[in-house]
Amino acid sequence: MAKEPKVDKNADLAASKTEKKTAGQYILLACLVIFTVFCFAPVLLVFVSAFTDELYITQHGFSFFPEKWSMAGMNAVLKYGKQLFTSYAVTIFVTVSGTFFGLLIMSMYAYSMSRKEFRLAKFLAVFLLIPMLFNGGQLSGYIVFTSMYKLKDSLLLLILPLCVSTMNVIILRTYIVNSIPSELMEAAKIDGAGEYRTFFQITLPLLKPSLAAVGFMMATAYWNDWQNALLYIDTNSKKPLQLLLVNIQKSIQFLLNNNNVPASARAAMGGAIPQNSATMATVIVVIGPIMVAYPFFQKYFIKGLTVGSVKG
Amino acid sequence: MKDFLANTWKHRAHVVLALPVFLVLFFIMYVPMTGLILAFKNFDVTKGIYGSPFCGLDNFKFLIASKSTFINITRNTIVYYIIFTALGTFLNVALAVAIDQCIFKKMTKVMQTLMIIPVFISYAAVQFIVYAFISKDTGLINNALGTNTSFYMNPGLWPAILTITKIWKDTGYGSVLYMSVLAGIDTELYEAAEIDGANRWKKIWHITLPSLIPMITVMLLLSVGNVMRSDTGLFYQVTRDSGVLYSTTQVIDSYVLHAIFKNSNFGFTAATSFFQSVVGLLLMLFANWLVKRIEPDNALF
Repeated sequence: MAKEPKVDKNADLAASKTEKKTAGQYILLACLVIFTVFCFAPVLLVFVSAFTDELYITQHGFSFFPEKWSMAGMNAVLKYGKQLFTSYAVTIFVTVSGTFFGLLIMSMYAYSMSRKEFRLAKFLAVFLLIPMLFNGGQLSGYIVFTSMYKLKDSLLLLILPLCVSTMNVIILRTYIVNSIPSELMEAAKIDGAGEYRTFFQITLPLLKPSLAAVGFMMATAYWNDWQNALLYIDTNSKKPLQLLLVNIQKSIQFLLNNNNVPASARAAMGGAIPQNSATMATVIVVIGPIMVAYPFFQKYFIKGLTVGSVKG
Repeated sequence: MKDFLANTWKHRAHVVLALPVFLVLFFIMYVPMTGLILAFKNFDVTKGIYGSPFCGLDNFKFLIASKSTFINITRNTIVYYIIFTALGTFLNVALAVAIDQCIFKKMTKVMQTLMIIPVFISYAAVQFIVYAFISKDTGLINNALGTNTSFYMNPGLWPAILTITKIWKDTGYGSVLYMSVLAGIDTELYEAAEIDGANRWKKIWHITLPSLIPMITVMLLLSVGNVMRSDTGLFYQVTRDSGVLYSTTQVIDSYVLHAIFKNSNFGFTAATSFFQSVVGLLLMLFANWLVKRIEPDNALF
């Protein structure tokens, strides 16, 4: 970690000394700008379409520069009213509890695995690695979770399958081994701290940068998980946000399958079913929180990826 | 043995700390592994996985009998893996090198932030973005070109649509990893090369790219074990699981997901899952063996 500023400084120095703003540099910049537009324009389209007049979309199609704006889409989303708030609560609950629980138990495991004098650590490493090489697949998972554990329609199935990942434990372990001096933990022990106290009061606080990186990635995975919800959740009061999106799609699909319905009639029905602008407004509501949180975590997860890439 | 037990007892705190993850992995990952036995059984919901009667290789016979589906989904899975991995790796590296070489650092930082955003949008949401571009009546593409293409009815167009979607979603994020490697290259190497008269391309070719090889190897190796698994959301959500498109869009994972919902072809699905897991394992072992021979330091285990 301490190495980083030095590298940056060197890069700057080299840049100022040898690099000139040549034509090649401007071409390169242009290419990067084009790629950025390619990446970001579709996201922008969501925001523009959400505030485009519904009739305008059905007549002229989606557009980056609509001539008619409207709040109707956003308002229609609020019509979901209760379900939207319920789903928000479910998603937040699953994301927060899953992320914190996962981070806690994974760092506990990573800590045990990193103790050299602990002979069972080798077994723990192998036990962790096997699921990365071999797994039962969706079907077995589905049958075991629903007919063996009888957990169908339980929020546990949204939390547990995503809370431990081999890669994340390896990232945490690598961080403990490389960035936390073991003298610190030994010193704590000499001062009379027990194993648990050493872990919770010395290791865990020092693990924060790595926890932020892994935590953000986990939170995104939880927030974006539609598959487990689609497979296991039936009750409305337990449906997370992503499932709401999936279900909206189903109703639109239903409409589109009625090929005989002319465009004007579809537009007239627009109020009853979630139409284009309302759908986009829902997309905003669902992806919004991540967009807001992401810039704050960007530096952590870039660092986290770097740390994890070092094979320990 | 006695030593080992004594050591374990001495470090019982570590055992306790490791226990929660051990239990989660055991119940969430390991127990479902035993479910693969269903490929050799005639599943009966009332009797459960272990109580259901064995039926030998009947399910695999079924698989061979309905081979057009099986061959189709396996072929799609592998072809998309190859396209995504080859093109993805190339673009990730190209983007990382481009950003690294660009001297307008403040702008590249902003651009990078914007490029990474798509990776955080779930496929359940991405499908609407794709729809906005390719819908028949209201899509941007039909509007811009003045055409009237029914993308959702035309399987031939989907390899391109899915590839573009995948590149759009993952490239910005995928390059971050390579960029972090590039940031770690000792600048003295570049300076020395300059003194020796190397131009920019030579420096990229002889210093930048070789330093990325270990990371590329590790990433490829990690991905090889997942040849048989796909980004389910891409193939299930973005295509809207539309039957018309199956010939070019259905992969093993989306097939299994579809089958679970439709409760159809149980034996076939179990046999396919078994095939998927076993082939995945073999490929992973093979790739690791290969890397171990070429570049032992980069092997996973």
